[in-house]
Amino acid sequence: MLEETVLIEFNRQIGKDTWLMGFRSADLASLAKPGQFLMIHLDRNTKDPLLRRPFSIHRIQDRNQLMILYKIVGKGTLLLSSLKEDDPISVVGPLGNGFTISGPHERPLLIAGGMGIAPLFFIAQALNKIQKHTIKMFLGFSTSQEVVLVDQLKGLNIDLSLTTEDGSLGIKGLVTDLLDEYLRQELNKKPVIYACGPTLMLKKVAQKAITSNLRCYVSLEGCMACGLGICQGCAVKAGNSKDKPYYYVCQDGPVFSSEMIDWRAI
Amino acid sequence: MVSQPDLSVNIGGLKIKNPVITASGTFGYGNELTPFYDPSLLGAIIVKGLSLKLIPGNPPPRIVETPCGLLNAIGLANIGIEAFIEEKLPSLFKNKTPIITNIYGHAIKEYAEMAKRIESVDRIAAIEINISCPNVEQGGMAFGTDPDTAAMVTDQVVKNTTKPVIVKLTPNVTDISTIARAVESAGAQAISVTNTFLGMSVDVATRQPKLANIIGGLSGPAIKPMALYLVHKVVANVEIPVIGLGGIMDYQDALEFLLVGASAIQVGTANFINPKAAIEIVNDLTDYCLREKISNINEIIGGLKTNGENHEKIGDKKNK
Repeated sequence: MLEETVLIEFNRQIGKDTWLMGFRSADLASLAKPGQFLMIHLDRNTKDPLLRRPFSIHRIQDRNQLMILYKIVGKGTLLLSSLKEDDPISVVGPLGNGFTISGPHERPLLIAGGMGIAPLFFIAQALNKIQKHTIKMFLGFSTSQEVVLVDQLKGLNIDLSLTTEDGSLGIKGLVTDLLDEYLRQELNKKPVIYACGPTLMLKKVAQKAITSNLRCYVSLEGCMACGLGICQGCAVKAGNSKDKPYYYVCQDGPVFSSEMIDWRAI
Repeated sequence: MVSQPDLSVNIGGLKIKNPVITASGTFGYGNELTPFYDPSLLGAIIVKGLSLKLIPGNPPPRIVETPCGLLNAIGLANIGIEAFIEEKLPSLFKNKTPIITNIYGHAIKEYAEMAKRIESVDRIAAIEINISCPNVEQGGMAFGTDPDTAAMVTDQVVKNTTKPVIVKLTPNVTDISTIARAVESAGAQAISVTNTFLGMSVDVATRQPKLANIIGGLSGPAIKPMALYLVHKVVANVEIPVIGLGGIMDYQDALEFLLVGASAIQVGTANFINPKAAIEIVNDLTDYCLREKISNINEIIGGLKTNGENHEKIGDKKNK
């Protein structure tokens, strides 16, 4: 874990309200594991927005370039999108536990809703290097204008099923609709699920995985001030622990095995 | 060769090498920020508020950002005093930087019991009492909002320890100087001013409060002018040292508090944003003193220039 001021290499819009930013740091890149995140200080000279913002590490390229993928959802991300090449940002990371990568003979099933694709791209890169089987992915957006990264994912040897809620591209519906159908046929192959996306999507996926007795890792979001385990803002109710009532997304996560979370509280 | 300025200050009998202390709840149990710098370079460390038993804390969402501020309702989540002493304290950096435990209870006897326990632990240098929490024996009213109750809590802690006792006041009162004088009379050796300001934030789209707890405590730069005013007011009303805190982000903020009369300062929310905030303030204060040819930081403390207007204007100094 370290703090480094880096210069932005590029920051460009790639879809509706969706931006891709890259910067170089050999140290951060060498430490980073899929599923980990960074706390980014947008501008040291302003006190509003005040806090750092957490971003999943989206991709590592050329061993020293890190990318984040983000959607403009408020003041902080709007400010982030205004930053230009060579602007400095302070980055703290890599933080959190990251995904546990399955062995070469397991069948990974990646499920991403919207910006949930951010960390799943990184795990897809890693799985692509070691997996013998094709990686299956369900990728969902609300509408075609939001769809990003489809070509890049296909380049990673991924069998991709795309959904949009309004049916403007791919299959009409939700990624969770595809899951039921998929498991009817593939359950006996015991796929290992990696999921990231809206909380309600994760709840559905996790509960399905639990009842189907499948290994499932979900990457959660949490409101956090520090990302370092200090503020204890990012609490999530524990589902399986007697001595630990809450887990902290920044430290115990952001990746949790599905049975660790009390999904009834979500 | 220019000699280094003397930054040491005395907080009610506790001598610390510089006036920069970490605020409770923003520095974990003491070790969390060691990847970024050596905490032993700070004046003192105040660890996360401890209670007699483990407290799980509030349901999420526990924090929300507001303009220039952080509103939190963590719910005083902590592992309990025994677990801290047994599991966390032994692994903390083995040096002379004082570790101060912040304690809170829901009944006066809980404060007394914790003070007794801490008395037997050499590595803990002082106790800071949080009196902003609800008193379950008195209908949930915060201990710190009534001078008599605040004095009773202070008295019970002072009676059970020989270590310096610092009382951290809540700003959510009508007249903070009354409370300050009450805890001073009860034997407090220093006072921390101030804890968070009660606040709320509402999501207009859902018409729900943004915190699950509905209300929370506001910290960060948004509260700095109000915190400074309260320090100014308390300094005018007590003889014991005052530790100032509330929105200190850099050394200039720290200087403001020292100038109004704080003998030391605490860095809180800034630790979340810049993990090196506290150590940068130590270094920048040193550079400032060198630049301004100040050989001893005590020359700055209370050095507010007011064109003849003085502290007595706003307070009713107890000796008068």
